[in-house]
Amino acid sequence: MGATVTLWNKQMRKFLANPEEMFGLMIQPVLWVVLFGVGMKSMLSADAPGSGDPYVTFMLPGIAVLSALGGAIGGGSVWLTERLRGLVKEYLVAPISRLSILMGNALSTLTKSMFQAIIILLVGVILGAKLRSNPLGWLGGLMLIAGFGLGFSGIALSLASQTDNPGAYHAMIMVLNLPLLFLSNALYPLATMPAWMRIGSLLNPTTYAIDGLRQMMFQDPGTLPGSDVLPLWLCWVVVLAFATAGMWMAHSAFRKSIE
Amino acid sequence: MNERADNGLAIEARGLVKQYGDEVVAVNGLNLSIPDNQIYGLLGPNGAGKTTTISILTTLLEPTAGEAKVLGMDVVKQAGDVRRRVGVTFQEMVLDDELTGRQVLDYHGRLYRMGKAERIAKTEELLALVELVEAAERKAKTYSGGMKRRLELARALMTTPEVLFLDEPTLGLDPQTRTRIWDHLRALKEEGGMTLLLTTHYMDEAEELADTVGIIDKGKLVAEGAPQALIEEMGADTIHIIGEGDRDAFVENISALPFVQTVDAGRTVIQVGVDSGSKRLVEIVSQATVSAFAVEDITVAKPSLGDVFLKHTGRRLRDRESNQTQHRTLLMN
Repeated sequence: MGATVTLWNKQMRKFLANPEEMFGLMIQPVLWVVLFGVGMKSMLSADAPGSGDPYVTFMLPGIAVLSALGGAIGGGSVWLTERLRGLVKEYLVAPISRLSILMGNALSTLTKSMFQAIIILLVGVILGAKLRSNPLGWLGGLMLIAGFGLGFSGIALSLASQTDNPGAYHAMIMVLNLPLLFLSNALYPLATMPAWMRIGSLLNPTTYAIDGLRQMMFQDPGTLPGSDVLPLWLCWVVVLAFATAGMWMAHSAFRKSIE
Repeated sequence: MNERADNGLAIEARGLVKQYGDEVVAVNGLNLSIPDNQIYGLLGPNGAGKTTTISILTTLLEPTAGEAKVLGMDVVKQAGDVRRRVGVTFQEMVLDDELTGRQVLDYHGRLYRMGKAERIAKTEELLALVELVEAAERKAKTYSGGMKRRLELARALMTTPEVLFLDEPTLGLDPQTRTRIWDHLRALKEEGGMTLLLTTHYMDEAEELADTVGIIDKGKLVAEGAPQALIEEMGADTIHIIGEGDRDAFVENISALPFVQTVDAGRTVIQVGVDSGSKRLVEIVSQATVSAFAVEDITVAKPSLGDVFLKHTGRRLRDRESNQTQHRTLLMN
């Protein structure tokens, strides 16, 4: 645990000393919300019911979760660089657990994702998204984002433990990234999809993280035409299982890589 | 001090083997017994198994067979305890160079659960030792190669290790910087209480620093001893001969000469240890003529650790230029 905090602290200090990275991290999700959200809104909002801005309300959780995904990819990249530059050896000869080394990376990724999520939500609210008034719901929503981020961090760390080639890492990540984004309820409601896409989306943990987030944090999650609501407990179960499975994958890939 | 279940040996290895896949055997039945408070130099060419040996002893790799103990603790079964009590510098530069020198040391101390006051005190002490006080607040990426090496050395010392492993500590450094690193290492030894295992393929480095040198080749220890003792075994002078013709007859004939102490016929160089080089040169050359062996190049030199290496491995280490012996070349015919 101490080592996890130390490695987290180290990554955060490097992050805070790097204004370019901070700027990129803040601007990227804002661009998503503004460019994509506002564009789609003009196509949809004419016949959308309810108060506030339904499409921004609808897509905001998707953007927040997918930013966590982007963060996890960055975390995997950091890990790959540390491996290739031999920095991981400094951790490996230290009297600390192997899992704590991975957790240090995943937690610093999560911290950045939380930071991003909050910015996204603020921008969204400015653009007319309707939040629920219960702060516990917001907290629950952030926890869902964190759980999803941890799971995908695990996948990214596991890929980054298995290759020595940054190009190969990014190629593999892209193969995962696109279906996770488009084969989910992030941008379109489940009911508006063709059946095969809906089945794909229901197999995608991203869908559960986003749906759970909508229910916990936003008003009227089901009001956009065709958006249906999954059971909230199921969202939590899937996200927690995904987080655990991701870290398990990362741990076993890491162990294999140091044998 | 901690209790030790050993016999005054800081490092002990028995029949150590490391095999990668089915074919590559990096370490092949290595035995080591290194007493406390020594500088032990593991000398060998690239690929001899030096780094693999250090990786096993520092718990980075598990051996395929055999066992190794550091401070009496098994490196596999008691890996955590070994990690707490050793320090390591790696062959390649391993530095988080986005951090300042001071931060590098501080985070290392935190990983080993050192308290804050202790970390601050130790950081100051070590920055002074490796002469990086003025650069301490700069990011390590602005450091020169030698400064980075010194910072790595300080990092390895941060946790006051009882055994320090240094894998090629001066690889790629210019001569002045190498000398400075040597000074630091000697100072550490004089302070006492620490065993140093360093690998190198520089013979002068081993000769300068090590109390005991182990020559490693193809994953095995082929010779071991104090550098001077190893060199003295070679005879008073060494004559190196390169030529063409009936090598076997020539080697046989000179071996029979009474003043010849050793003959080692390598792939290209024949190395002859004699009581006095200048006195015996003519006799050696006349034996060559008798044996129908045409001498192309012949040199006389005081033997060096390089000659010891050549004798035991049949090969030269790559860097002749760092061999500090005086050569006198006599070009024949």
